[in-house]
Order: sequence, then structure tokens, then C-alpha cells
Amino acid sequence: MKRFLTSLGLLPLAGFLAGAVDRFPRPDFESGYQYPEYSYAVPNEMLWDIIDVSVLLILLGIVTWALFKKRTKGPILAVSIVSVGYFGFFRGGCVCSIGSIQNVALAFADPSYSLPIAVFLFFIIPIVFAFLFGRVFCAGVCPFGALQDLVNVKNYRLSRAVTGALSIIPWIYLAFALLYALTRTRFIICKFDPFIGIFRMGGDIGVIGFGILLLLMSVFTGRPFCRFLCPYGAILGLFSRVSVFKAEITPKKCISCDLCHDSCPVDAIKAPYGNKTGETPVEGVKRIVVYMAVLPVLMLAGALIMRWSSPDLARANSEVRLYEMVTAYEAAMDAEMEPEVEAFYSQGRNLGELEASKDAVLRSFRLYSTLAGILIGLVIGLKLLEMSLKRGRKEYEIDYASCVGCAKCFDYCPQNKALAKASVQNPETDR
Amino acid sequence: MNKKIYRNVAAVTAIFAITLSIMLATNYFQVRKATPLQTEVAETLKELNDMNSENPQLQEQIRQLDLLSRKAYFIGENHLKTGIYLLLAMIGVLIAALRLYFNDVKNIPDKDLDPFDDWLLKSKSRGYILWGSGAVAATALVLAFLSSPYYTSFKQKKDKAASEEMVAEAVVPEEELSTEDEYALAGITREEDTSAAADTTATEATEAKEGEAAAADSTAEAGPAEPEIPKVTHNGFRGNNSNGQSSARNIPTSWNLSAGTNIAWKTSIPKPGYNSPAISGRNVFVSGADAEARELYCYDIFTGEMKWKLAASGIPGSPSTMPAVNADTGLSASSVATNGQQVCAIFATGDIICADMDGNKLWAKNLGVPDNHYGFASSLLIYGSEVIVQYDNDSNGRIIALNLSNGNQRWMKERTEKATWSSPTIAYVDRKAQLIVMGNPNITAYDPNNGDLIWKVDCMSGEVGASPAASNGKIFGANEYAALVAINGTDGALLWQSNEYLPEVSSPVASRDWVYVATSYGVLASFNAETGELVAEQDLGCQFYSSPMIVDGKLFIFSIEGTLYMFSNNGQLTLLGSIPTGENTYATPAFTDGRMVVRSQNSLYCVSSL
Repeated sequence: MKRFLTSLGLLPLAGFLAGAVDRFPRPDFESGYQYPEYSYAVPNEMLWDIIDVSVLLILLGIVTWALFKKRTKGPILAVSIVSVGYFGFFRGGCVCSIGSIQNVALAFADPSYSLPIAVFLFFIIPIVFAFLFGRVFCAGVCPFGALQDLVNVKNYRLSRAVTGALSIIPWIYLAFALLYALTRTRFIICKFDPFIGIFRMGGDIGVIGFGILLLLMSVFTGRPFCRFLCPYGAILGLFSRVSVFKAEITPKKCISCDLCHDSCPVDAIKAPYGNKTGETPVEGVKRIVVYMAVLPVLMLAGALIMRWSSPDLARANSEVRLYEMVTAYEAAMDAEMEPEVEAFYSQGRNLGELEASKDAVLRSFRLYSTLAGILIGLVIGLKLLEMSLKRGRKEYEIDYASCVGCAKCFDYCPQNKALAKASVQNPETDR
Repeated sequence: MNKKIYRNVAAVTAIFAITLSIMLATNYFQVRKATPLQTEVAETLKELNDMNSENPQLQEQIRQLDLLSRKAYFIGENHLKTGIYLLLAMIGVLIAALRLYFNDVKNIPDKDLDPFDDWLLKSKSRGYILWGSGAVAATALVLAFLSSPYYTSFKQKKDKAASEEMVAEAVVPEEELSTEDEYALAGITREEDTSAAADTTATEATEAKEGEAAAADSTAEAGPAEPEIPKVTHNGFRGNNSNGQSSARNIPTSWNLSAGTNIAWKTSIPKPGYNSPAISGRNVFVSGADAEARELYCYDIFTGEMKWKLAASGIPGSPSTMPAVNADTGLSASSVATNGQQVCAIFATGDIICADMDGNKLWAKNLGVPDNHYGFASSLLIYGSEVIVQYDNDSNGRIIALNLSNGNQRWMKERTEKATWSSPTIAYVDRKAQLIVMGNPNITAYDPNNGDLIWKVDCMSGEVGASPAASNGKIFGANEYAALVAINGTDGALLWQSNEYLPEVSSPVASRDWVYVATSYGVLASFNAETGELVAEQDLGCQFYSSPMIVDGKLFIFSIEGTLYMFSNNGQLTLLGSIPTGENTYATPAFTDGRMVVRSQNSLYCVSSL
């Protein structure tokens, strides 16, 4: 059973391998050479599941300790190196908390799908930690974030107006990832994972190229994947916003030196602001009321657009695509037979059955596309509302939804340095 | 000093990485687009080999080319991988150099990109979100509209109108290929050259037999190799969906039945029948009947051995005395149908039986003795999980869909047409299946899922024996003393009709551009599928009852006298070759990759060069 569950988790990889094997028809040998049977070694996944979850817990513990107790980035840097080495290059980026969203969603929607326990733990543990301590998982335990942090040289700040708008992309990505997972079409987070090819030193070259591009961007700006793409980061951000314990830049009084603000690679530290908008309070309230009224309209519009687009979105599904290929072939049999069509006939399948299967997929797409559209409309509406709220700040504050807990601000803060110096002189003052 | 070094190392590696990235991207798209095994040269050589499979030099050339193509592809792919690793290493060096370079300047605060006005930034963000979301939504709506059925249907109509206009306005001269050129290209000997080539063929056959014997010896040493089960199916009369087309490839075009050249096996069928064979996997199905018994047979496609037979006996309602049938029809004129899991056969008694692939009877029933003055002859058709029977008789005519697993009736539609010997076909119109049935006086389209009427066109008359054909959304029907008609499958509109050449028994077949009709007096004619214009005709001085099949880019048809004619499928009816067998042939042959199974009046045989 365990092996079966693990196999399900590795389906995308298996699909890739299958595709690679079938790139060419096999050569015909006249010498009587017999092709050996394919055999795949069944890994001892139970043991590795335990090790993976243990390493995850240990690294999360170290980061939490470094953030809340030690208040320094040194251990987090060490965790980043271990995470990239172990979860990244050694374990090949799988199991991954980001991709686990899809497994969990599918398990909720489809009772016949058995969720591997390790995948569930990788999904839930970082969320529990985020609810308790903020995004400690992102700090250095996630190999994707860690890799981007390790290659980061210098932060060139992007326009905050643009990054604010771009922050809705992870939610849209999440909506599509859930749609394709729930319809059993494919796990797009895994398929288009930009770093997995780098970790495994192989894979789709286009996706690897995208990963390299992201890494190059990471050299000059902090964590572009985490900020503008990662759907799991968006979920963790929600929990981090309301976390029980919140990290502070310094336990001492802020002297408004701006160094922490400048050091943050993800622009999660907000500078003091007088809240002078030049807009009357009534106008501000009116805008909020309008956006609140528009929110259901946005959700409805999202639902309708996605529902109308569902036949096109469904074309990514293998059954729908196969149906199109077979019917196109049936309509003009002069054409070259695609391998998929050949396989269809050789399996003894018939078009009536395929059409029924395709119709079921389309129905499923209609439902989940509508729900995905509602989610997208909701996210856009809420973002607009959030951007309409005015709030002044007297000192530098952390935006806990965006903060990835990298601890760079700790090292930049002169108050922390003073604290550390005092702690060396008098260990009693060490917090 | 060190800073300068770091800066220069970073600059050099950056230039190197960018150059390498461009090269890799170019290489990537080249490798991705490459179809190394489908080059023009390779395809031409393979076509030549298909035409004449006894040229070892040509085959060796193809093998060498195949090997070179594979090597070239994988070398290119390996270069790409090596390049990626090199690029990663360069990026690592670049990052290290940059980190060192910026090591002592990173504490200097940046100047804010935005003037710090939180509210202004939020206002801008709102604008970006609104405009961005609006643009994405508009794009999604446009794309959804472009792929909607309304727009697709509108565009198809518009394209069709434009194409008709072009046909009307412009006369495009076709570049004609002389018959001799075609022969030379195909490497095929014409009928009149057969005698001259006979000696060569005989020598080649002897050599081939010697070669086979040697191969057999070596095989015996190495142990028998299991042949690959054919993938392409031929599920019933005139192939899958009964439309006269097959996706089989590498059909031998040079063989000799009496000499046994390229004949894998030949066997006799216990009981007579005019029905055509069906192929699924390694099974070949035919049926036969006489006054004593009605039987379904399964043969092995590799050896020709009978795997099993199943008698249609003990069926409630089955008549004890055989209905009167014409000798030209017999008791088993209807072809069997299979889907690779079940196989069904029907006889002139109205008995229908269904078996699994091991010959176990799944169910059997009698549909009522057909009131048919020549004898029931419509072939079965399997669609999805149902078997469809066109039961047009002089009384109680109907079309029935039976559940394949238990024989229960799924749906039934009464038909007022007179007795018909035509068989149903499945056509795909706008990607939807239509069940097309010909009768007197209508050609009718039903929804095969529930039997709902889609359209009906009154255009046939006489005793309808031929079956309909379909291609590219058009339905074609023809019958002697009526007309050859083309119907728009979308709405049942009559597109054109012609009375020049009409079939009696043989069914028409259609490719995208051409419709072919074989008459019982030996003329094969081709018509333009768009306009109905007669394009070419060939009077072959024989008779056709067997239906033409479009396979492997050619048109195959057997005459009653037993000669297989092969024509080019380009509307011009260029005769590519003819092979006399000396055995009368009424049935339509069945095709799978590399094999053709023929039922003659006396035997069942398999043509194969594999």
C-alpha cells in the first residue's frame, strides 16, 4: 500500500520517464537481439519518508530557534545549504511542500485517491509552523527559497507598485494548479517546477531554462519565485499574517535608521508613513464601499469567464486531447496516424467510450473552472480592498504575510548589534 | 586590486554565460523541432521499399540512414546537456565573483526606487491590478469566443464559401505525372509487363525462399520469436466505422497467390458466405452458413489456423427451415463486427450471436426472420458498447442497437424503407458521430447514442445494395438507377449529385478530395468530392462486387474475377499494379499493418511480407 501511495506521488516523474523512453520507435535488429524487459527498482520509501519528515522538523526547529532565540542569520544560512543539498540535490526536490497542495486537494475531491502520509505532513507541518511562528519554512527549509537566497548578491529594489500588483499571481497560479489537479489532468506545479530540473540535472530543457532565468534574477533581486509565483508561499502568508508568535526586527527601540528596510530582499519591511493622502476620509470610505460591492461582481465575472474558457482549458487533459486526435483522424484517415491514436486503437478502446470519458472530464472542468474563477475574482477583489486601506506607521514594521524570515534585517539593525555587544559583555542580557 | 579581479571574472563569465545561453537556446529549438526519422530522403526510401520489398540494398541503405539519424539526434542532445552543465558552472562562478565584488558595499542603503508615498504606491498598484485583470479577462473572453462552436461553425462556412469562390473563379492546372513516371517511382510492374517480369519474380521468389529457409534455421537455433501483434484493427465490413479506409501501412503490393509469394497462409472456410473478414489483434473473423448450420469462425492471423468456431444454434425463435435466399446472397452475406473484446455475427435467419475473444458465447437471439426476397445482407456495426443492426426488410423494417454485453435492446427506430442490402456506417461531422444508413428512398443520419433522427434526405431508389461513405463532414451515397449524391453532414443539405457511374453492390469510398465508385460492369470512376465533377474513369473489363478500400495512400479493389487492382489515391486513377489470383472474390479484403486478409469464394488467405 505504501509503495502504491508513493508511486502516486511520483506519477509526474514516471510520466516524464515514459515520455523519454518513447521518443523513438525501437530499432529493428535482425540479429535476433531481444530487448530486455524494463524493470524499475522499488525504493525503500518508508524509510526515506521518515528521514525526510525528520529533517524537515529539525530544520524548521533550527530556523525557529535562530529567528526567535538567537536572532541571527548564521544558522539560517547553514539550514539553507543543508536544505539545498538534501531536499534539493540529494532528494531531487520531491516530496515538496509546494507540490503537495495538489495531492491534498485531489484527496479532498476524489475519495479514490489515497494521499501519501509523507506528502500530507510536508503540506501541513510548514502551515502549522507558519501559524505559530510565521514563514519559517520559507526562510531556508524550502530548497527553492534557499537556492534563490544563496545566489542573491545584491538587491535592486523593484517598484513597490508593481510588486504589489504582482502579488496576486501566486493566487492565480494556485487556482489553476487546483483546477488541473482536481480534474486529474496534471500536477502543473510539478510539471513546471523551475528548479527541479536543476536539482536533478536533467528534465525538460525549457523548464530548466526558466529556472536558470529565475536564478539569474535572484542574483539581483530577492526571491522572484517566492514573491511572484509560489502558491504555497501565498498560503503560508495567510497563516503568517495571524501567527501566534511574531518575529521583531529588534527588541529595543527602533531608531529609524532605514537599514533594515534596505536589507530586506523581499521588501517586507514597511517604512514609517504619515498617512497624508490628500483624499478626504469620505472619498476613501466610498472607494471601499464600491470595492466591497464590486467584489461579488468580480467573483461572478471570474466564474463566468473561467466557465466559458473551460473547454479550452480542458484541452490539456489527455482524454480530451486524445478524443480530438481520434475524431480528427476518423474524419480524415489519409492523415498520418499519431502514436496516441495508434495506441488508442491497439488497446481495443472505442470512440463511444472515449467520448463518454471526455464528456465527464469536460463536466468536471466546468465545475472546477467556475470555482477557480470565483477564487480568482475573490483574490483580485480582496487585493483591491487591501490596497484601499489607509494606515499610518510610526516606525518600521514587518509585513508578516510577505516576510520570509531570512533574518537579514537582524544583522543590519544597529540596535541588535548593540544588544549583541552588551550580551557578550554581560550574558544576562542575552534574550 | 582584488575587486578588479572579481569584477573582470564576473564580466568574462557573464559574457560567456550569455553567449552560451543563446547557443543553447538555438540548439534546444533545433533539437526539439527535429524529426530525425522522418526526413524526406528516409520517407522516399521507405516508400520505395513499400513498393518493392525485395531489395536488400535499399533496406540496408534505410538502416544506415536510420542509424545515422539516431546518432546525430542523440549527439545533439548530449551536447545540449553538456552545455547546460557548463552554463550552471559559469553561473556559479559569476555569482561567487559578484558576491565577492559586492561584499563590502552591500551595507550602503539603496535609494528608493519609488518616492515614499505609501498611498500613491497603493493607488498605482490598484490601477495595475485593474488594468492587468481587465486585459487578461478580455483576452480570455476573445480566446473563448474564437474557440466557441458558434465562431468555429461561422468560420467553416466562411472558408467554404471562399473556397467555392476560388474554385469557381480560378482553374488551377494540375501538374500531371505521366503513368510511366508513376510506375518508375513506385517500382511497380504493370499488368502487361507481368509476363516479362515473371522470370525475374520466380528467381526472386526462389532466392527469398532460400533466405527464409536460412532464417528459419537460425530462428530454430535461437528459439521461436513471438511476432508483434498487429495494432491496426479492421473491425468489420470496410474497416473501422465501415467507411472504406484503413490506417494500415506497408501493405505488400507484389505477391502471387498460386506461387505462394508473400502469402503467409491460405486456408479454407468450412461453410460458404459472401461476408468480408474482420481483424482485431491476432484474430481474423469470418462467418459461414448453409442449411445445416450457421457458424462464426476465428483464425490466427499469423498461422491461418482456426482458433475456434461457434455455431448459432439453440436460439429461441430461430426458424427450423431456412428462409428462401438468392444464391448471390446466401445465408451469410452479412459481415461480422468486433471491438477486440466481443465479436458478433448475424445470419439470414435473423439469428445474431456474440462471443468473446476465446469463442465463448456471450449471448444469442433471433431478431425475427427477415422478410427479404434476396436474403438479409446488411453487415453489423459496433459503436461504443452497442452493436447496430440495419434491419430493413419488406416488412417490420427497423434499426436496432443492442447492448454488446448482454444483447438487450438499447434503442430501436422503426423504418418505413423498403428492403435494403446496404450496411450502416459511422461518420464524424463536427467531431460528432452520426450513424448513416442508406435505404429506399432515404439516406438517414441518426444519433448512434440514442437513435434520434438528425437528418433525412430523399434521394435513393431501386434495390439499395451499396453502403454510404463519409469524409470531411460530407456523406456520399450511390445506387444503381438512382444517383451518386453528396450531402452536407451538418444539416443534410444536398450538395451535388451525379448519374454518370453508379454501383450495384460495391460501395463508394471517399477521401478528403475524391469519391470513388466501382460499377458492376467494371468501370472505376473518381469524382471531385467538392463539386461532383467526374475526374477520371477506368474501364477494366471486369465486374466489381467487392468494395474499394483506401489504404496506405492507395486504392485497393478486387474484381469478381479475383484480380486485385491498385490505384493511386489522387483522383486520377493511375493504375499502380494488378495482381490476378484466379479465385472469384466478392468480399472486401481486411487490412492491418503489413497484412491483407482476403476471402475468396473458396478460401481465406493472408498476404504478408512480414
